Amino acid sequence: MAGRSHSLRRYLLTRIALAIPMLLILLTLVFLLMRVAPGDPISAALGGRLPQEELDRRRAEAGYDRPLIGQYLEYLGDVATFDFGTTIVDNRPVTDVIVQNGAATLELTMVAMVIAVVTGVGIGTLAGRYRDTGLDVGGRLFGIVIYAAPVFYLGFLAQLVFGKWLGWLPTSGRASPVVTFELDTKTNLFLVDSVITGNWEAFVDVVEHLVMPATVLGLVIGGVFIRLVRVNLIQTLKGDYVEAARARGVGERAVVFRHAFKNALVPIVTVVGLQFALLLSGAVLTEQTFNWPGIGSELVRYLDNRDYIAVQGIITFAGLVVVFVSVLIDFVNAWIDPRVRF
Amino acid sequence: MEGVWRGGAVKRKGRVAAAFAVMALVLAACSSDEPGDTDGTDTGTAEPADVTIIHGTTDSIVSLDPAGQYDFGSNQISQQVYSTLLEVPAGGSLPEPALAESCETEDSTVYTCTLQDGLTFSDGSPLTSEDVAFSFQRNIEIDDPQGACSLLASLAACGKWKDSAIETPDDTTVVFNLQAPNAVWPSVLTTSAAFIVPSEVYPADALQPDDQVVGSGRYTLAEYRPGEQVVLEANPSFYGDAPLNTRVFVQYFKQSSALKLALEQGEVDIGWRTFTPTDVSSLEGAEGLSVVEGPGGEIRYFAFNLNLEPGDEPAVRQAAAMLIDRQAIADNVYEGTVDPLYSMLPAGFAGHTEAFAERYGEGPDPDGAAQVLDDASVQTPVELELWWTPTHYGDASADEYAEIKRQLEEGGLFSVTLESTEWDQYTEDAFTDGYPAYQLGWFPDYVDGDNYIASFYSSASFLNIHYENQEVDDLIAVEQGSTDDAEREGSFQRIQEITAEEAPIIPIWQGTQLAIVRDGVTGVEDTLDPTYIFRYWLISKSE
Repeated sequence: MAGRSHSLRRYLLTRIALAIPMLLILLTLVFLLMRVAPGDPISAALGGRLPQEELDRRRAEAGYDRPLIGQYLEYLGDVATFDFGTTIVDNRPVTDVIVQNGAATLELTMVAMVIAVVTGVGIGTLAGRYRDTGLDVGGRLFGIVIYAAPVFYLGFLAQLVFGKWLGWLPTSGRASPVVTFELDTKTNLFLVDSVITGNWEAFVDVVEHLVMPATVLGLVIGGVFIRLVRVNLIQTLKGDYVEAARARGVGERAVVFRHAFKNALVPIVTVVGLQFALLLSGAVLTEQTFNWPGIGSELVRYLDNRDYIAVQGIITFAGLVVVFVSVLIDFVNAWIDPRVRF
Repeated sequence: MEGVWRGGAVKRKGRVAAAFAVMALVLAACSSDEPGDTDGTDTGTAEPADVTIIHGTTDSIVSLDPAGQYDFGSNQISQQVYSTLLEVPAGGSLPEPALAESCETEDSTVYTCTLQDGLTFSDGSPLTSEDVAFSFQRNIEIDDPQGACSLLASLAACGKWKDSAIETPDDTTVVFNLQAPNAVWPSVLTTSAAFIVPSEVYPADALQPDDQVVGSGRYTLAEYRPGEQVVLEANPSFYGDAPLNTRVFVQYFKQSSALKLALEQGEVDIGWRTFTPTDVSSLEGAEGLSVVEGPGGEIRYFAFNLNLEPGDEPAVRQAAAMLIDRQAIADNVYEGTVDPLYSMLPAGFAGHTEAFAERYGEGPDPDGAAQVLDDASVQTPVELELWWTPTHYGDASADEYAEIKRQLEEGGLFSVTLESTEWDQYTEDAFTDGYPAYQLGWFPDYVDGDNYIASFYSSASFLNIHYENQEVDDLIAVEQGSTDDAEREGSFQRIQEITAEEAPIIPIWQGTQLAIVRDGVTGVEDTLDPTYIFRYWLISKSE
């Protein structure tokens, strides 16, 4: 046990050590790409209104023409102290963007992942259990179609049907204007805040706004899980221990759900975790379609405006999240399966 | 000029809209207040009507500090929470007293403004001449990269404040000592660069945080959620008439399609800025919605670089001016949402003439164009590289320039190569002799012809197209220094005549303002004018 504990610790430390150069490469790429691309925030905003000399003067005053190496070292120093800077185009601390808009993305992502896991695992399990039946074919077809459909296309369809034609659901935003204004936000997660404050009218309003974007996003991701769960379940059901269970007279239902299902889920957990981490950096297309004020939408806006401070900060944060989650998943896998070592 | 109402049928839809209706009815039933005084008299004591307006827009905010803004989204909110010494009333074009009861000058160089008595900011602190001087000084000294301090160049250059620029002999007197005669200074005093802020609250050397705005406007800022929402509430200490509503929600949308859906669903009352032509076509005649139009000062044009071929040849520029069919562009590309423009000074501005129509006619004249080129011994087809930018001026730019290419090539007089690049690269190349001819647009900073004429045709123009005409420069100096309206209009007219003849810039269209409004909302048509100020205080709603 001591030996196992020691090797696990060594694995974890090695894994963390490998994450550092990965992160450094990411930060350097972001820094360079934003500065190599043409334009700057001042030209983006005021080009075509002010004389070139005035634009040049403002750029020089803002320090955009400083040597790259100096800017790079300053950038690394700030990141090391978790100072992501202040956006150029709207003077917001980047941490505020991450907290406020990140909370919006987190809320959308969490609900979408629940839907994705429920539909993906549920349909995938049925498809794997009843292989080569109508249920299997239907499940696989659904998974392929839903995954192939662009999320913004599904979003538009949902808005058209449920918003415009049926008038059942709102088509944009996290909540209605009055609720957004009057809700006492403690966590910036509107669902949680409405529960904490006992504002059930706001809770209903927030749920109404969340249903469409979360369902659309969740179904698209669930399409991936359907195929993955099905394949893994079929493989697992071929295992010797499953045959042995059947030979012992264990019922098929118990064989599937008590023996095979849990083992089939191990690789799924990895994918779910990584998918969740990726979504936390912003489900851009979903957020754009539903006017969801998430971090992905803000990233697009700052990119459009060549706000490299904001873009750096957001991507750095996203990178940290993905690195953290992937390390966490690797640790969990290594903890479960002693064969997972360097 | 007032807006034109184009109505549609009445129908309520959407659970959110129904919720607002119930809420408004409950509030109305509980309220014992009388409606506010809205007969236009300056009582300063009337209560605002208990109405909530929701405005949806695709604009965004850069900064709510006057020293840090030079964009539509920021200006729109700032117009509601701040005040200026002078302001242009709805439908008007000339500055009128606001915080100042008068601003006088004898030589267009020294302006003496007298503040009204008893002015206060929304936090209750008195507004005095010291605050006025402070506001201008900090704007110039902060010299924010995204600010509009350049509009105050007559007072002092950005970053180079001079203490002699403003004198404040007493609490209600402000004396502006300009560096040179400038007859349009009163118009500058209506712009975002001239908003007055409290000297006790705002820092002198940094921008005020956006959620801590204090002004003396008709509204206070109750809430600011960046990228999502602004909430404005009527300012009880405002010096003038109370707004026709109590509260305004401004909801921000990333895409016009989302705003369009929100309108159709009743989630917002008004959609203003910015819809595509297809959005507007789709919304025209929609149940429960109406399209309200008003004049706008937005223009589109393309400019020749006079140092590069073929724009260095006047006959080429004149021929191009003769071949452009502006009505076709307005109808086919913009579905009638813009108007043909025959001068770089748009219709609705004092001094406007249809200079290009008078010189070249309204429609395309291929025979005239061929004759001009032949007279100048220009070989045809003329090779022209024409640049445009895909997203900055809207998605219709591609269609617009495809149509311009078609028009120029019809008859075989031009062979046009269209080139495009995104805005960031575009602004680097266009103004540094990179493009022989290129697309541009313009919104006015203030409602005066000078903001168009001087900006485009002075030899120091930001366009850098190397257009120089001494008579034009002299006329610009005259209109900038004169307070005689007839003299200024005469200067504008002569400048338009000269520049139509020389055609360094070809005007294409002038935008109308469009707002999509839910039935029951009133007052929008009163605020759509060339100032581009959307005056929430004129808007009300009946249930």
